[in-house]
Amino acid sequence: MRDDQPPLASFEPEVPDRLVSRRDAIGRGASDSGGAAAALAAGSVPVLLAALARDSFAQAPTTIRGVLEFAYILESLEYEFYNAVLSAPAFAVVRGTLTQVETATLTQIRRHELAHVNLLRTTIGQLGGMPATLTAANFDFTAGNGSGAGPLAAATSDKAVLLATAQSLEDTGVRAYKGQVAKLMGNKDVLTMALQIHSVEARHAAKIRRMRGVKAWVTNDDPSFSPPAGAEAMIGAIYGGEQNTTHAEINFAGAAESFGGTAAVTEAFDEPMAYEQVLTVFNPFIAGGP
Amino acid sequence: MADERRTVVIETVDQLMHPQTRRDFLRLAALGGVAVLLPGLFAACADDEARAGAFTLDLGNEVGYLQYAHALEQLEAAFYLAAVRSPYAGITAAETAILADIRNHEVIHRESLAAILGENAVPDLAVSLGSIDFSVRTNASTGVLDAAKMFEDTGVGAYNGAGRFLTTPERLVLAGKIASVEARHAAVIRDLLDVTGLAFAGDDVVDENGLDLALDVRTEVLPAIDPFIVTAITVPS
Repeated sequence: MRDDQPPLASFEPEVPDRLVSRRDAIGRGASDSGGAAAALAAGSVPVLLAALARDSFAQAPTTIRGVLEFAYILESLEYEFYNAVLSAPAFAVVRGTLTQVETATLTQIRRHELAHVNLLRTTIGQLGGMPATLTAANFDFTAGNGSGAGPLAAATSDKAVLLATAQSLEDTGVRAYKGQVAKLMGNKDVLTMALQIHSVEARHAAKIRRMRGVKAWVTNDDPSFSPPAGAEAMIGAIYGGEQNTTHAEINFAGAAESFGGTAAVTEAFDEPMAYEQVLTVFNPFIAGGP
Repeated sequence: MADERRTVVIETVDQLMHPQTRRDFLRLAALGGVAVLLPGLFAACADDEARAGAFTLDLGNEVGYLQYAHALEQLEAAFYLAAVRSPYAGITAAETAILADIRNHEVIHRESLAAILGENAVPDLAVSLGSIDFSVRTNASTGVLDAAKMFEDTGVGAYNGAGRFLTTPERLVLAGKIASVEARHAAVIRDLLDVTGLAFAGDDVVDENGLDLALDVRTEVLPAIDPFIVTAITVPS
């Protein structure tokens, strides 16, 4: 077990000119501060369970805390998903198809996602936020906007769909963190923490892909599975842009003829995902209203 | 851009005496290229004679950290080039494909960083992989997959530890684009060595907060890779 991590109390406070007090949050309204935390701050005593409204994170975060508040929601979705797979009655059929080793893998992943949720909650608190406690009820794992009958419904009974869903979440996580990481540069400890979470998500993605019998890396914009009917836009958003071959304004397509060609160039880099694209993937998993 | 001829694998002194190999080696020495010096070569050479050139890595600025990444990718590329060229006993078709893919990625990383660094690119480093047994898949320490696991975990930790020292968003995102692929490599290699289903992100690399490695360049990464790099790398404090 590693013991080289610094105590959590060492995080620096957020830069003062972006710090939003609770009073200010109440005055400015929920969306200005970003995240579920502000939605709660705009009320009175924080309610333990509030419907997670898409409105509360419709705008791309602009502050360090805002980025973490969104990451907290994504990690909560991942944790609740794996927890449902491993323990919810709804997933009993697919759970019965998992081997012992597969169950161990998903349990390890769930453990990490819970650790991420808790670490992000603690860090957001140190930065002056108060994130809501989210539960499985806040999410629709079928990607049905709360209907429970979305295009990924077969994940509850079909292992192939289950693993494709898990892969989708992990590959999205990698790209989502990458898309926001530059906003964390003002706090080096928080930035490092985000990088350390981001690479764990990449390990998860690689392992899920291997469980599916496909490459651990993303080739062009190929999801390596056929999107279930109705999930085409979502899956397209997860992998769209991964075919990019331009880095630091240099196009490396065709630069690796003896080394896998352009396909390998697309595999060698994972791409950041713009916030709006993340929402295209993420919104259908939110059970709450607008 | 990327050219396999820029790497010469030299296993014995006899190879250096072979006309074509010697021509390749001298051509590379003149133009730049990676000389991969395998076990047995140094039997005829004193340690001091084996050192070829030196490089100063100035970590006082962002360019230095990109050079650090370039050096790491050179080492990884050299390792996988050798591993693919001399496959270990019993390698499966699936493992062959995986190592070839990873080799491709590392060569691409190396060449991309070289192109992005331009005149600041790290000169081709002389690499010694003599402590690795390329004939063995794993013996828990010096086999090919054991070395691969070490290189990949070290790479992930290096990128995660270096992020805080990058000063431009563009370079941070570039490093991130590579870092997550190194993490995929690490997970795959660990998975190949594992039967429990846990090692891809095992408790030896992911801590109780769910955090991956973040390594210090001077105290953790450079000492780990020093045995493999013949070129003397100096890091001013």
